[in-house]
Amino acid sequence: MNPALEFVVRLVVWLLLAPLLPGIINRVKAWVAGRRGPPVLQLYYDLARLWRKGVVVSTLASPGFIAGPAVAWVAILGAALLLPLGPLGASPSFRGDVILLVYLLALARFCTAWAAMETGSAFEGMGAAREVSYAVLAEAAIITAVLTLSLQSGSVSLCAMLAPAAGPGAALLAVGLFTVLLAENCRVPFDDPNTHLELTMIHEVMVLDHSGPPLAAVLHGAAMKLLLFSVLLVQAVLPVGKLPAPAAAGVLAAGVLAVGVAIGLVESLLARYAFRRVPLLLTTGFLLCVFALLISWDGGGA
Amino acid sequence: MAVSLWGALRAPRWWLGALVGGCLAALGAGAWVLATCEAWEWRSGWLVGGGGVHLRLDGLSAFFMVLVAVIGGAGGAYSREYWTDRAHCVSAALGRWWWSALVCCLGLLLLCSNGLHFLIAWEGFAVCAYFLITLDPRRAEVRAAGWLYLGASHAGTLALFGFFSMLAARTGGWDLGPMRECGELAPLFWLALFGFGVKAGIFPLHIWLPSAHANAPSHVSAILSGVAIKMGVYGIVRFSGWLPLPVGAGWAVAALGAVSAVLGVVFALGQHDMKRLLAYHSVENIGIILMGVGFAMVAAEHGAPAWGALALAGGLLHVWNHGLFKALLFFGAGSVLHATGTREMSRLGGLWRAMPWTSALFALGAVAIAGLPPLNGFVSEWLVFLGMFDAVNQRGVALVAAIPAIVLLAMTGALALACFVKVCGVVFLGAPRSPEAVGAHECGPWMRGPMLVLAACCVAIGLAPVAFWPAMRGAVIAWRGAWANVPAPESLTALGFCHVALAALAAASAAWLWRRAHRVGWMPGVTWDCGYAAPTARMQYTAGSFAGIITEWFGWILRPEIDAAAADGVFPRHARREAHTPETVLEKVVEPVARMVMWVSGLIRGLQHGRVQAYLFYVMIGLAAGAIMAVAWNP
Repeated sequence: MNPALEFVVRLVVWLLLAPLLPGIINRVKAWVAGRRGPPVLQLYYDLARLWRKGVVVSTLASPGFIAGPAVAWVAILGAALLLPLGPLGASPSFRGDVILLVYLLALARFCTAWAAMETGSAFEGMGAAREVSYAVLAEAAIITAVLTLSLQSGSVSLCAMLAPAAGPGAALLAVGLFTVLLAENCRVPFDDPNTHLELTMIHEVMVLDHSGPPLAAVLHGAAMKLLLFSVLLVQAVLPVGKLPAPAAAGVLAAGVLAVGVAIGLVESLLARYAFRRVPLLLTTGFLLCVFALLISWDGGGA
Repeated sequence: MAVSLWGALRAPRWWLGALVGGCLAALGAGAWVLATCEAWEWRSGWLVGGGGVHLRLDGLSAFFMVLVAVIGGAGGAYSREYWTDRAHCVSAALGRWWWSALVCCLGLLLLCSNGLHFLIAWEGFAVCAYFLITLDPRRAEVRAAGWLYLGASHAGTLALFGFFSMLAARTGGWDLGPMRECGELAPLFWLALFGFGVKAGIFPLHIWLPSAHANAPSHVSAILSGVAIKMGVYGIVRFSGWLPLPVGAGWAVAALGAVSAVLGVVFALGQHDMKRLLAYHSVENIGIILMGVGFAMVAAEHGAPAWGALALAGGLLHVWNHGLFKALLFFGAGSVLHATGTREMSRLGGLWRAMPWTSALFALGAVAIAGLPPLNGFVSEWLVFLGMFDAVNQRGVALVAAIPAIVLLAMTGALALACFVKVCGVVFLGAPRSPEAVGAHECGPWMRGPMLVLAACCVAIGLAPVAFWPAMRGAVIAWRGAWANVPAPESLTALGFCHVALAALAAASAAWLWRRAHRVGWMPGVTWDCGYAAPTARMQYTAGSFAGIITEWFGWILRPEIDAAAADGVFPRHARREAHTPETVLEKVVEPVARMVMWVSGLIRGLQHGRVQAYLFYVMIGLAAGAIMAVAWNP
């Protein structure tokens, strides 16, 4: 395919399809609870409405309050564009792009936490503190997963790392990455995306003061991040890159759908964990990735 | 430079001109050597202290020379407004003199290729730094910090005396140069590692560093942290390149680096004094540098130039990067201190309104030091990561060390991010917490200019990393000539392209969102505190509460001292809580040992009381003991 066309297709997938995934999760939750639930396209309506709404900005906030969500959104989009998308390889693929991906997500975290500190609100300070603290453990788990894939494929570029299957440690890696996905995207049992005024929240509390277009950027960025982690998880475990193009696209879509359903089921069946147990759960995710790493170390690979 | 020494006392304008001129000359010389990859060497028959003068500027020393020149010039210009004659009538002139002397000594240290002269320059720069730290000797904590610095520095110098004299004894001369074929010199490396490690501030030898950096004037903190501790790194890199390496040296350096990186940032998180926090980040960044250097040494031992060169280039680039952004951050902290008179973060807040330039430049430095793209800190960490990932994929012996090192480096990055969100958020954002913070003012052009220069350097390395590869290559070749044919990593260009795209897109989207927000209607309001009607500045998260979760995880080593009175009763009146993180190694290890030594010495002192009869008795005992030994051991 023409590289320019391919790039446009990838951009369209990330920008337009990302808000679908939270809708699917909400449908699953509604189905399990026996409710009718919001429409699948609810987030699209919300984004369109927020984009037209006015902004209320704290008198304490600096221009960074608006720049933070914008830069975070760009960082997440950049990270997403580094990821190969089934039959569409990553366009700027180079050695070490996986490290750039991890650090772009860190940049997004820095900007979100920065914008949270802008308002001088005790709640947002608390949320930012929790976000950056738990990210230490999440980052360790992600880099261990990356190491596993790198050792498995003998490469440091995302295209080569994600093409083959994860080998013998696939199940461990999948569970470990799924734990990180839940933590990084503020899902139950780490956080509850439904509540807005609970003392036990992490992410939602950081965006309490955002409104209008900046909030739309935050929500769209969060949806892209969720899709990014789902795509990463599916491609890390399944040999998507080795399949013919139509099959790869189908497998990837089915895999992401399965991840969405799994998140919905987890949210329906589990309660949010007590706050003290969050580090423990994240450490478990990290250890699962370490075991996957040990298996791929011992199991040969490239 | 000589003109600047003279002008320091007499004519401040001449001083600055001469200093900047000298620094530009040094910068040009360094850049020339790095560009051409040809060492400049000069020998003369002129004897100093019994040794012929032998100067050499090769790729490695030129690499450090560039850093000395940039920070030396920028700091000199900054001090013009920061430490003025009007505010410090005596110490300003002294400060200028010692500053020039320090920069001269640093330059000489890099040029000297004779062990004796190296030691002289080393001692000279240590003493200059002492006088710069104690420029304001009226404050007791400044005197204590200077004293601790001098003591620790001399402990390191003692080891270096041993190192150089043993080297001279075994090679038969003070002349330095590559001597990798003499295998019997290998154990001397450990002595050098200790001596240079004290200066570099490797954990646990960093005890002098936090108080010295916190209490020195800010431009001095900048050169101490940006350049002076790098001389320790220079020593380690220089002599690991020239001397044969003992078995396990690379592993030890990499392990020390990993420990320094993680614990340095953890200690930084526990601090509430802005400059002390930055000082602990020096320990962290020295750790990152040493991880790169250590893996390069492992690669040299096992003959793996491809990833060894990447790790070394990353470590060396981090020397530059850390020098640049840490000096920028110390200048920013100095500007805050200048404007508010306090380094205590819990008394600051909301400074962005009064100090927009300082806030923006400090934020840029924070993004750089947290190792985030698209700035320079990420480029060097990325190179170190790439080297270690390649070590993993080679599946050689280095695999065992590289895996934990990668995980620890990633965690260090996340911890540094947490720490700098804390600093920026508490100091520059939110509402002012004290009258000092309300009355802050922006710094003038002489302080802002050097900060802008350093920020521009950070951005340049971040956006065009491949342009700086020749410099790294020159230094790597000076370290191991055999690694000359390692090609530039082709992905460095791609990384630079991604960084440019990211920066452009980020700026464009921020501008777009800003315009959109203004178009749809911009309503200022009170911060939404969940319905609470009267939020006050004291309700904001403080530095201590922000870092609370992580400092709790690391309580086993931080050992925070908490002084709290809990609120009790139905209508509690008083409740307060203060937490302070001490320098654990100094207070829990070094001081008890020092007290023990003093106690034993006190016992021995009882023997000396001034009675001549008793002294005669000691002499008799000594003679008798000597006689017995002579008889017993000479049958």
